[in-house]
Amino acid sequence: MGSNPSDKKVTEEQLVKDLQAGKTGSFEQLANLYQKKIYALSFNLTRNITDSQDVTQEVLLTLFRKGHTFQGKSAFSSWVYRITLNASYMKLRSRKREPNVSIDELLPSFNSSGFQQEKIQDWSENTESLLFDNETREVIQKAVDLLPEKEKIVFILRDVEGLSTEKVSNILELTIPAVKSRLHRARLFLRKKLASYFEEYKVQKESK
Amino acid sequence: MICCKECIELLHDYLEGDLSTETNASLEEHFADCPPCIAFVNTYKSASRLCKATLTSNEIPDSVKNKLKEFVEKNNNT
Repeated sequence: MGSNPSDKKVTEEQLVKDLQAGKTGSFEQLANLYQKKIYALSFNLTRNITDSQDVTQEVLLTLFRKGHTFQGKSAFSSWVYRITLNASYMKLRSRKREPNVSIDELLPSFNSSGFQQEKIQDWSENTESLLFDNETREVIQKAVDLLPEKEKIVFILRDVEGLSTEKVSNILELTIPAVKSRLHRARLFLRKKLASYFEEYKVQKESK
Repeated sequence: MICCKECIELLHDYLEGDLSTETNASLEEHFADCPPCIAFVNTYKSASRLCKATLTSNEIPDSVKNKLKEFVEKNNNT
């Protein structure tokens, strides 16, 4: 990918135009532009290397073969994300379902006057350095895996991929308030899940 | 005064800067007197940041990169 962002944009625009016009020969460019994104999203949903490789190949082929049907009503990248999601969900469908976790149990609790009921510790400082630790990374990855599908995909597209609320609402065909509310629920869930780990970690460190 | 529950419900919009000036001010007034809520906000932001840092660091493994390269070369020539 070019170092200059405007270079990249021209390439992408041209590529999409070529695909729409049914011109071939840009498969390599297409792969260069999108394979990383496709693989990353698929891996975050399936957590399986082989499945993600399959999905990446499938999606690249679909883009290549069906590119001429892309109507340009939304961004091309939204289309790429949507096809990737569908292909990843197809992979998940063939797997045994894991029992769903109820998100409500992990939402904050309040007393009758609306004040926080549990003791909230601030473990946010210095957690960044723990990211080099395999155990921490595993705990974080597991916490995201435990999110119910509806919340998980919104969280991955918004907070991990960094897409805007509007773009996510477009990709998932959800209203803006629905995207916001699912993202908020996902963050509450993850905060709570990670709290138990990091609070314990802090206690251990302080007692040393 | 606005309670913890209301503040936490509005947290997403507060961090996005989507609240009206008055609502924003009442949240900040609450936070000024409520250390548990400050801890909550800090850890809410932190959780999202930590997940992002972890999940974006998953690179394509070399074995898959090679397979994809073969796949691309194959399709580039057809």
